[in-house]
Amino acid sequence: MSGDARGATFDTVEPGDDLPEITVELSRAYVKAHATAIGMPFPRFTDDEGAKAEGLPGQITPGNMTLALLARELLTWAPGGRVKRLGTTFRGLALAGTTVRLLGTVTEKDEEKRTVECDVWMETPEGDRCVIGTATVELP
Amino acid sequence: MAFADIDRSVIGREYDRLTYQPIAAEEIVSYAKTLGVPDPIYFDEEAARRGPYGGLVAFPTFVVKLRGGQHLPPEVARQMSIGGFDAGKDIELGVPIRPGDVITATSTITELYEKTGRSGSMWFVVFRQHLENQHGEMVANVDSRMMQRAKEKKEGAS
Repeated sequence: MSGDARGATFDTVEPGDDLPEITVELSRAYVKAHATAIGMPFPRFTDDEGAKAEGLPGQITPGNMTLALLARELLTWAPGGRVKRLGTTFRGLALAGTTVRLLGTVTEKDEEKRTVECDVWMETPEGDRCVIGTATVELP
Repeated sequence: MAFADIDRSVIGREYDRLTYQPIAAEEIVSYAKTLGVPDPIYFDEEAARRGPYGGLVAFPTFVVKLRGGQHLPPEVARQMSIGGFDAGKDIELGVPIRPGDVITATSTITELYEKTGRSGSMWFVVFRQHLENQHGEMVANVDSRMMQRAKEKKEGAS
């Protein structure tokens, strides 16, 4: 981890730095509330029965929500930063009712643009990276 | 008709354009709060005024809410309508969204391709929502990859 109490700044981070780990409980109510707020109140995102009817093991987290959680990971690490780009691949299911970990690492630093490249990912309780991504963040 | 038969002229053609009602502050706040964003510049107007944007702005991934009116053009939707799922998203962000902004989303297909792996063939569609505000400024390009297991082609089917 790098940066100080105010968060990461361009001058304090280096490639290889880890972003602080964030643990998120994907409670069923939390997933349902956010899925509804983003206009995706579909059965697979709101309850187990609806998800099972679609052949899923249970209520799942929308990809758009996992993407947003990775952005939250980045901006919790660097509250004064701006996410310029975020690309994600949804590799597996983030099941509601589980607790996931958000992790990341700095991979590159662009002195001219004052941006950093980061790898970010979400891990299931089993340690599977169910969502992986890369991001470009402009740091203060 | 099969996925391979979709007329590739669909790529790059605008198939949807939607101008949203002005974005309400409540919508911005609700998005950040239901996600659990800790930084108050995304949900507290007073804190936001003292923040780097000088006022309330939407948390960056708010842009994925603005998905346009028509998900896919009909000739593509017919092939991707069953069992498709979201394989990933790439977002490029421009100026932040502020309360009162009027956002126009235009949609285009950027890629259509097939991949064959151990479990068989998969079809992929990449579509882009380009978001602009009322000043003509780029808010975001949101590229979404939809994936679907290839349907078996029936004997004699066209």
